[in-house]
Amino acid sequence: MELAKVGSLVDCCIGIVVVEEIMGGFWKLRSNNSWRKNVSFLMSVGLLLLFLCQLSLATVHHQRISGSAGDVLEDNPIGRLKVFVYELPGRYNKKWLKRDPRCLTHMFAAEEFVHDFLLKSPVRTLDPEEADWFYTPVYTTCDLTPNGLPLPFKSPRVMRSAISYISMYWPFWNRTEGGDHFFVVPHDFGACFHYQEENAIERGILPVLKRATLVQTFGQNHHVCLKEGSIVIPPYAPPEKMQSRFIPPSTPRSIFVYFRGLFYDIGNDPEGGYYARGARAAVWENFKDNPLFDISTQHTSTYYEDMQRAIFCLCPLGWAPWSPRLVEGVIFGCIPVIIADDIVLPFADAIPWEKIGVFVPEKEVHNLDKILSLISLEQVLEKQKLLANPAIKQAMLFSQPTLPGDAFHQILNGLARKLPHDPHIYLKPGQRVLNWSEGHKKDLKPW
Amino acid sequence: MKKVTGSSHRLARMRSKNRSGFNSEQASETSSRLMPVSHFRVFIQCMFCIGTLILGFRLTTESSFLKASFQNPEASFTRISARTDSSASTGTESQFDLQLRREFANGSKGSRLAYNGTIVHSSGGVRVDVGRHAILIRPWPHPDPFEVLHAHHLIKRVQLEQQQLYGSKESKPIIAITTTFVRTFQAVHLTGLLHTLSVIPVPVTWIVMEAGGVTNETAHFLSLAHVHRLLHLGFDIPMPAGLNERSKLEAQMRVEGLRYVQKEKLEGVVVFADEGNIHSLEFFTEAQKVEWVGAVSVGLLGFAGFEESPQSGIVHVHDGRVEARGNHILLAARQAAAAPRFEPQVQGPACDSNGNLIGWHIFDPLPLEGEVHKGMRAAQNRRLEWANFVLNARAVWKTEGNQPEWIRSWDEWANPEDGSTPDIKAIVRSDQWVKVLGNCGRKVLLWWLRAEARADSKHPNKWILDESLEIIVPAKSTPWPRRPVRRAAPPPPAPAGGTGMKHGAGSRVSSGKVRRPKRKQDQTNVS
Repeated sequence: MELAKVGSLVDCCIGIVVVEEIMGGFWKLRSNNSWRKNVSFLMSVGLLLLFLCQLSLATVHHQRISGSAGDVLEDNPIGRLKVFVYELPGRYNKKWLKRDPRCLTHMFAAEEFVHDFLLKSPVRTLDPEEADWFYTPVYTTCDLTPNGLPLPFKSPRVMRSAISYISMYWPFWNRTEGGDHFFVVPHDFGACFHYQEENAIERGILPVLKRATLVQTFGQNHHVCLKEGSIVIPPYAPPEKMQSRFIPPSTPRSIFVYFRGLFYDIGNDPEGGYYARGARAAVWENFKDNPLFDISTQHTSTYYEDMQRAIFCLCPLGWAPWSPRLVEGVIFGCIPVIIADDIVLPFADAIPWEKIGVFVPEKEVHNLDKILSLISLEQVLEKQKLLANPAIKQAMLFSQPTLPGDAFHQILNGLARKLPHDPHIYLKPGQRVLNWSEGHKKDLKPW
Repeated sequence: MKKVTGSSHRLARMRSKNRSGFNSEQASETSSRLMPVSHFRVFIQCMFCIGTLILGFRLTTESSFLKASFQNPEASFTRISARTDSSASTGTESQFDLQLRREFANGSKGSRLAYNGTIVHSSGGVRVDVGRHAILIRPWPHPDPFEVLHAHHLIKRVQLEQQQLYGSKESKPIIAITTTFVRTFQAVHLTGLLHTLSVIPVPVTWIVMEAGGVTNETAHFLSLAHVHRLLHLGFDIPMPAGLNERSKLEAQMRVEGLRYVQKEKLEGVVVFADEGNIHSLEFFTEAQKVEWVGAVSVGLLGFAGFEESPQSGIVHVHDGRVEARGNHILLAARQAAAAPRFEPQVQGPACDSNGNLIGWHIFDPLPLEGEVHKGMRAAQNRRLEWANFVLNARAVWKTEGNQPEWIRSWDEWANPEDGSTPDIKAIVRSDQWVKVLGNCGRKVLLWWLRAEARADSKHPNKWILDESLEIIVPAKSTPWPRRPVRRAAPPPPAPAGGTGMKHGAGSRVSSGKVRRPKRKQDQTNVS
């Protein structure tokens, strides 16, 4: 904000000086030194042009599409796009669900609910010729261990099999090699299909999805697993469960900082330092004695109620930078304190996260109490006011039944904003861009 | 990113501007000989040049901040640390800045593990730090008092804002009437009540009636309360032992409290905040809605018969007709065989679907198994507790109260001619004028904790031990049967040769006497 003001002030001054120069140039026309006057005159004209260019640039500086929260969130995507849903055999979707119905309640359940939503939505078209986007309902995150964690080892093969199916029975995949197709990949690292970051980076995004649009929960700048043009969505959090646990808003917020979860992952990283890049462990070691910080690993049955009594809720990274705590914090009006470097938050082009949340770099975690106590009261009240905006809360939820402005509609808004398609994605008949034999040996086996 | 390039554009232009500024100055000097007005032009140009220089300097610092926080979406935090650094360098150091600098300097020393990050180069030429990272612990990981103070100010201010936005618009003062007497569990109940009353956002007048006269011990507890006005009144009759007599005396004490309200013409909402009750703050906001007389539901905790189904105790009273739900003992026996279900017992108004008051839920306590309490059954006290009712203070005024005619006058209900105890429900002529609060009685806003020590239990005065105890007297064994409490896991074995404390004795009902261990060095432990 101050930068913009300073910038405009400087622009004014530059403008005045440039006008001065031009007037001076005209004045010099009468003097004797000809070449000097020409050079200075040209320089001033050039500067004037630059100044005008810079003015025009200044208006495009905002990365947000429109100023305040809620404007873009209330866009109605119905009528702006058409989506065709491929009919895949049950082994790609229904069978996984039947095998383990827990897929509908864990945090990766977005893929099932998006499928369900699109089947009933007015944007769905049964005529693929008029469709702008094509959706492939394949549940790659539904292979669960007995504990409920999804195993991603088969997911690349399942995805490749699904794509070869649709390329065989419909001509639309080969038309663009996926340029107008989108896939929902809500796993830890998106389409890299692995839960460990090193392995995920090494594998990279599945090669056959190189041209498609990915709708994923993972978002981190300068990371392999975030493709340009991906739509980042919030993780699934059960809306009914959260909305049934509201306490009256007049209940005073008496907890300063709240967090419940692991600090050390004893099973996978007993020494610490790998899990969360040491950030969670730093929070514990520095603030376990601090009475302002209500942090613990204890599971409490009043988790949602406590969040509504807290001012700040920590959302640190874990094995992956995103977590459902962000959604819970937004729903319950608790200012999220995001400790994850370079993270890309859901619907970042529609929701002004810097105005709502507090971002703390991982290397500053040990000064978290200083940082939070330095935030001024006006800023805190402003953030709480923004959080109370029902449009943002609605945008984070996958509501059943669907409501206008909820996460499903934001996904469609995101897809609609990418229209019309770049004509370069349409390939000439017979032209092949993707290399199907690219990737790990194990992934190339048919499923 | 666009902002940075914009600023770099500006920087480049600034530098070129300054260079061209010098050119124009030289040119203007030659032309100044021609016209006198060029002096003014030179002056203006110098002013603008200086201005752009200064602003340009500011801009370079801003852009360097941006570059430093390039990967950081929220730039203000690196700005905070950078600002403190710069202030430290200019010599204006506060203790806070000093500490921060020390920590920054000792950051590497404070880290627990050596940094052993492996940097993975992906195909896109992007660096991601994967691997073991240091856990940064600062050398003094304890709260700084200034920050804590600031945080508390923030909390208080946020709560004030919440109160203004969502709190009830009416803020009638609350008049709480409590009866108490000195006993073992007085500390437990009174401390909870005084803290509850201290945090209510509206002004509270607390009238405490003490049976047996005003004592120092009660005064000691009451001094901890932060209420607008505290009245500690004594009632000379000591509290009797029997429950029946106790309730009679308490009714009389409350009437005395109301008499005080009447005499002083206090305004507000009268609430009967009994000692053993746990109030939620919502109760006090709901109480603001009362016009003349209101009724709330009171939940019951700690009643006997926890394991068995408590359903059988509910008795409905419909305008004098008593509808008992089955024979108590038989039903209890039948339901004891069935699976135990816990349903909270609630005493209070009963509504129909339209929201009209049609009756009352009254609690009739189950007697303990195999126990007969004298006077318990005979009481059959089919009356509601005083805590179920909330009054407008004007309802008890004698004059100028402008009470509607369906509220009985003070002399009629508070001093009944037949000498029976005054009943609060008698203040209204008919039930239809009672306003039901708390979502038509469905929301339980306060809980009645029926937990008391034995009448003959002793406790130290003000719970402070002045001298160490030397005489060890074993507690009397209680006449109550030892009921085994069902646990999930078997109780842990008593530690061999330990302190002598019996861990397995948790099932014994506390008798109020503290069991002392045999070893002398543990005498100072107060369990």
